[in-house]
Amino acid sequence: MEFIIETSGLTKKFGKDTAVSGLNMKVPKGEVYGFLGPNGAGKTTTIRMLLGLMKPTSGTIHIFQKDLQKERISILKRVGSLVEQPSYYPHLTGYENLEAIRKILGVPEKRIAAVLELVGLSDAAHKKVKGYSLGMKQRLGIAASLLHDPELLILDEPTNGLDPSGMKEVRNLLKRLAEEEGKTIVISSHLLSEIDQVATTVGVLLKGKLIFQDSIAAMRKQAQQKIKLRVSDGEEAWRTLLSRGMKVDFKEGAVFLENASDEKAAEAVAVLVENGFAVYRVEEQKSSLEEIFLQMTKGERDK
Amino acid sequence: MMGPLLRTEFLKIKRKGFWLLTFLGPFGVVALQMVNYGVRKDYLFQQSDDRWAYYLHNVHDFTPLALVLGIVILTSLMASIENETNAWKQLMSLPVSKYSVYLSKFTVLSFFLLAASFLLMVFTLLYGIFLDLGPDIPYADLARYSFYPFFASLPVLALQLWAAVIFRNQGIPVALGVFGVILTYSSYSLPDWLIWKWPTLMNGWNEPVLNVLWGLLAGCALYVFGMIDFARRDVK
Ligand SMILES: Nc1ncnc2c1ncn2[C@@H]1O[C@H](COP(=O)(O)OP(=O)(O)OP(=O)(O)O)[C@@H](O)[C@H]1O
Ligand SMILES: [Mg+2]
Repeated sequence: MEFIIETSGLTKKFGKDTAVSGLNMKVPKGEVYGFLGPNGAGKTTTIRMLLGLMKPTSGTIHIFQKDLQKERISILKRVGSLVEQPSYYPHLTGYENLEAIRKILGVPEKRIAAVLELVGLSDAAHKKVKGYSLGMKQRLGIAASLLHDPELLILDEPTNGLDPSGMKEVRNLLKRLAEEEGKTIVISSHLLSEIDQVATTVGVLLKGKLIFQDSIAAMRKQAQQKIKLRVSDGEEAWRTLLSRGMKVDFKEGAVFLENASDEKAAEAVAVLVENGFAVYRVEEQKSSLEEIFLQMTKGERDK
Repeated sequence: MMGPLLRTEFLKIKRKGFWLLTFLGPFGVVALQMVNYGVRKDYLFQQSDDRWAYYLHNVHDFTPLALVLGIVILTSLMASIENETNAWKQLMSLPVSKYSVYLSKFTVLSFFLLAASFLLMVFTLLYGIFLDLGPDIPYADLARYSFYPFFASLPVLALQLWAAVIFRNQGIPVALGVFGVILTYSSYSLPDWLIWKWPTLMNGWNEPVLNVLWGLLAGCALYVFGMIDFARRDVK
């Protein structure tokens, strides 16, 4: 597999505090990499290092197979980015803001109108950014990151401050950029639900450590399937199943069967019926990705 | 790289009052003499046989103060453009070197200070002619008094730019600037090695050109120090 971003042992310390620790991040080409973690996990710190805004305390970063420390400028020519709250020059219009960046990137002036159109800011192009709403500023930031049609997009919470329809627009835009134009996208968020529809690969960061990194399909697999059984005497039924060596739980008056294959489910029901329990309901319970994400981050926290 | 960066910098200072300040500084310095000569022209004319030289001295009394004050204001304004919404991170995520960003800021500031020096020369000349100070206009001295202070103040510019760019809290560079203005104001009784004295063109040898040389040398040194330190730090 070709990795667009590859970090090795990436670490950042602020004094004694370790914000990012031993990160081996691998972003495959053409994927949308959802970079997840609760507040303070170190997402922004990692992204700042990926853009060369911060020097790692230790570890290396390779982007497009080039060493970031040695070839920062040639790498950044092919990277579009948005870090934390949008930056802008409030006394300039949206158009002028993009013009200031465009001059440095050296792309044709018509790109400005194109990206403004893309993020739906054409109408406000000649208004001062001072008067923009937070969502409009965020869109302007996204527009700026797309000016030079970069191969790699690194976006730190890009849907921050957007209304639900704006969020959806941005998600669709990113999806299109990845699927139709083959761009590689890293998008950070503290909510899995914000990115689970676009992300194809997920990295979960917790307290500076990458605790999960795989395809979103693999993450879905981790969504343990449970069978919920509602029976006449829940507690007694639970004991009976336990005594047969089955993996069961008893919660809120119902019996839960963990990792239940079809055979296991059939066996459990048979045992219950044989022992004279009335089985009212057999339901499948799938935990959502969000629950898995919460479990992951919670589990670590409790340790 | 410098061309596009400079064009970007000139775009970003739009509507920030740079041109107005560049006009007001030298105009204010000459306007003080308009008041001075307006009130007691006859008295002032009696003070010296060389009316032009005396007039240039009078103008130059206020040039260093205006210059140092102007440097403090312009550098702080320049840094505030990036500090306001922390646009540093956006600027530095672009394919530019930190050195060239720093150089572009320094270049734009130098440009405006040079423009102010030029305006000072023009205003001084025009009011001098208006005062009818005599037929022999001392052009060389006029140019010296207008441009020497700029070169002599380069170390102050380098220092203020560094402070304005490094500190998140603009109170620090402004405090440093106010301190500098006070030093310049009271420079008559201060030692020659203080950079804030240099724009006054005073020194123990009575050779104004020495201040220009020191200014260029120390200015370069402080500039390089500031640039390296700026590049070494993590972007805010
Ligand atoms: N410049 C800094 N100086 C000192 N500590 C810092 C600095 N930047 C970040 N940190 C610390 O590093 C840790 C990680 O912060 P970071 O901003 O990377 O988290 P995050 O995952 O982006 O969180 P959020 O979801 O809130 O944006 C935090 O504990 C923070 O206090
Ligand atoms: Mg963050």
